Amino acid sequence: MSERTSPQTAGAAESGIDFASLFGPDEVLCHTGTTDRDTLLREILQLLAYQRGIGNVDEALAAVLERERAAATIVAPGIAVPHARLGAVDRLVVGIATSTRGIVFKPGSAPVKLVILVLAPRDAPGAYVQALSSLAKICGDPQTPDKVAGLESAQDVHRFFERGGMALPDHLCAADIMDRDMVTLQETATLQDAIDRFVRHDLIDLPVVDADGDLVGVVSAYELLRVCLPDYILWMEDLSPILNFEPFAEVLRNESSTWLAEIMSYEYATVSAQAPAVEVAKEMTKQRAREVYVLRGKRLVGTITLQDFLRVVLRE
Amino acid sequence: MPEGDGRPGSARLIPRAVVMILGSALVGLAAHEAGFTRAQTLSSAIFILIVLATLCFWHFRLAIAFIGIAALLGTKALTLESFIASSELDIILFLVGMMVTVGVLKELGLFTWIIQMVIGMRRMTGPVFTVTVVFLSALLACMVDEVTSIVFMAALIFQVCDTLKIRPMPFLLISIMATNIGSSGTMLGNPVGILIGAKAGLTFIDFLESAFPIMVGSLCIALGVLVWWYRKEIKVLSERLEARRGMGLGLGPLVEVPYRRALAILVGMIALIASHHFLEDRLGVAKNTILIVAPLFIAGVLMIWRHERARHYIETEVEWWTLLFFMMLFAVAGTLEHTGVTAEVAASFTGFFGKDVGVLTPVIIFTTAVGSAFVDNVVFVAAFIPVVQNLVNELGDRTLWWALLFGACFGGNITMIGSTANIVALGMLEKRYRTQIHFVEWLKVGALVGLVTSAAAWAAIVLARWLFSW
Repeated sequence: MSERTSPQTAGAAESGIDFASLFGPDEVLCHTGTTDRDTLLREILQLLAYQRGIGNVDEALAAVLERERAAATIVAPGIAVPHARLGAVDRLVVGIATSTRGIVFKPGSAPVKLVILVLAPRDAPGAYVQALSSLAKICGDPQTPDKVAGLESAQDVHRFFERGGMALPDHLCAADIMDRDMVTLQETATLQDAIDRFVRHDLIDLPVVDADGDLVGVVSAYELLRVCLPDYILWMEDLSPILNFEPFAEVLRNESSTWLAEIMSYEYATVSAQAPAVEVAKEMTKQRAREVYVLRGKRLVGTITLQDFLRVVLRE
Repeated sequence: MPEGDGRPGSARLIPRAVVMILGSALVGLAAHEAGFTRAQTLSSAIFILIVLATLCFWHFRLAIAFIGIAALLGTKALTLESFIASSELDIILFLVGMMVTVGVLKELGLFTWIIQMVIGMRRMTGPVFTVTVVFLSALLACMVDEVTSIVFMAALIFQVCDTLKIRPMPFLLISIMATNIGSSGTMLGNPVGILIGAKAGLTFIDFLESAFPIMVGSLCIALGVLVWWYRKEIKVLSERLEARRGMGLGLGPLVEVPYRRALAILVGMIALIASHHFLEDRLGVAKNTILIVAPLFIAGVLMIWRHERARHYIETEVEWWTLLFFMMLFAVAGTLEHTGVTAEVAASFTGFFGKDVGVLTPVIIFTTAVGSAFVDNVVFVAAFIPVVQNLVNELGDRTLWWALLFGACFGGNITMIGSTANIVALGMLEKRYRTQIHFVEWLKVGALVGLVTSAAAWAAIVLARWLFSW
């Protein structure tokens, strides 16, 4: 599964807060000549410290770079949205830099032409994702980096965002935090396919979809173990009859012809794509689920793991 | 009624508490008006309180039984001596020994081997599976006990139904009903059996000669009813089995199980129990001493052999919650006997129905069956034993003990709360599938099977009295 760096589509009602209201032309570095990521980030932070007061610049830079080290924040080709949560800010603070030459954000990746630095209060879970969500439209347009980098002045850049009609959602939706890049199995797949995917993708649960992409069940590695070691075998204290994994042998013999249904579970947690993200936490808690499947109608559109949830909502 | 969905909410607790206290107070008042002594009135009211507690507060039944005993002792309706004497420690210890032995047999793979025999059957069909489930459930109940039987049979049914992706409820229900019927076949089958056996002075062989054949006959009748009732589900199972066989797939993994030691222990225990009467005569010990001691002796030997697991067997395999409840219940029922309440009930029983065993037999069968349908059959039998004892002593005919046994075991099928096996099995179903059976869904087939088998037992008793001069 991919690291969550792709832009999200906002699914919830808009709050009415325009993204452009989070910064002014004075917080835009237009046509920067800097090509080094760390230097540029320091420049933007110094600008924000001067304009807005964000506390110690070194501490802010350390926080931004720490997040950057965890995973590069390139959300679309040519666009990076570095971010950090700081105790010194009490609302979202945004600084922007454009470059026609491009900035090397991640070795091996194409240079970035538009950098949108977002600083969120430390006690605002999901604020960054909310901001990112409002940028979904421009991030989805491959022309955006060149278009913005080509604007002549900071005022033009600000106007671009102002006219874009980008508003922060009132609250995060499941769709905002879900992973769209998921591994699925077709319902016609075999047990062999499932085991291959468990091993290849280092997963323990796999959603199963039909030809229309509708979620029909979830196969789990735990169920596979249960099939191999049913209750009546587990009753025995003496494991000598199964020391060499004898019960697994039959499964391996027939894995290419065994229905996927054999290890399919029909009890899993789902949420609607439009549901508030907190609904995800509710479902995970209620059903003790490690993963929630996000549906639009019956169609599976994404997954949210507990780790994803913690990272996106509490750490991003 | 047991709260299958967990703990009851406080909104549901208050009306139930009112019903329980009101019911108990009304019985106390009625007893007082009927001229009962203070001790008789108190013991009747507290017994009804405990019975209602099992219906209204399943999870609190033991706590309420403790408080009930304390109230009886505190009001001098019960003395410490009679409490110890009537708590039937012999039966409790017999059950402890059986539970430990069953725990060891489970770990040695006996039940794994039995289930694998069914799963590995070639040419299995829906009807064959149903017949196997019915007879295996009954036989296991006869050899170990009804709760153990249903725990293992439920695992088999869940395995087969999960593999074939069919609804397990019909087959679980078939197994539960066969287990309840089978539990009447021997003294080991049901706490009711050992309780009646101990009180009536019946031996294991008496049960084999009298109860077992009637149980088998009733089981065959029940099988016919159940196969007809669930004909569609059995047909679906056949189709799924055929499809799976066509793909070359089995019903579950099969492994080599070293079962012989466990089988030898089971056969040895049953042989020792079966010969208890002979051994008691030879050793000159009191009647049923060996019967009670045999499971304890075998459990002791097994605990020395597997000493590293001995504490586990005692702490985990023994259902202390149930056994303590039984002790309290027996003590309260004993109080009814000591204070003369049961003698009064027996007198009114014969006053109403006369002293003809031919009339009293169906009356006891159906009264017990209906009573056991709504109150755990051990609870009902514990209260009814002294009444039947008085009748048997007066009429000199022990047929009535068999009427009590069959009424209690077969009546347990009528409702989903009729026996411990029902409650255990439904608990397993709920835990695994998060589903419950509706009271009426069970009642429809349960009442049919319960009443038909009770009628069959009545007919068999009449026939046996005529043919063998019981």
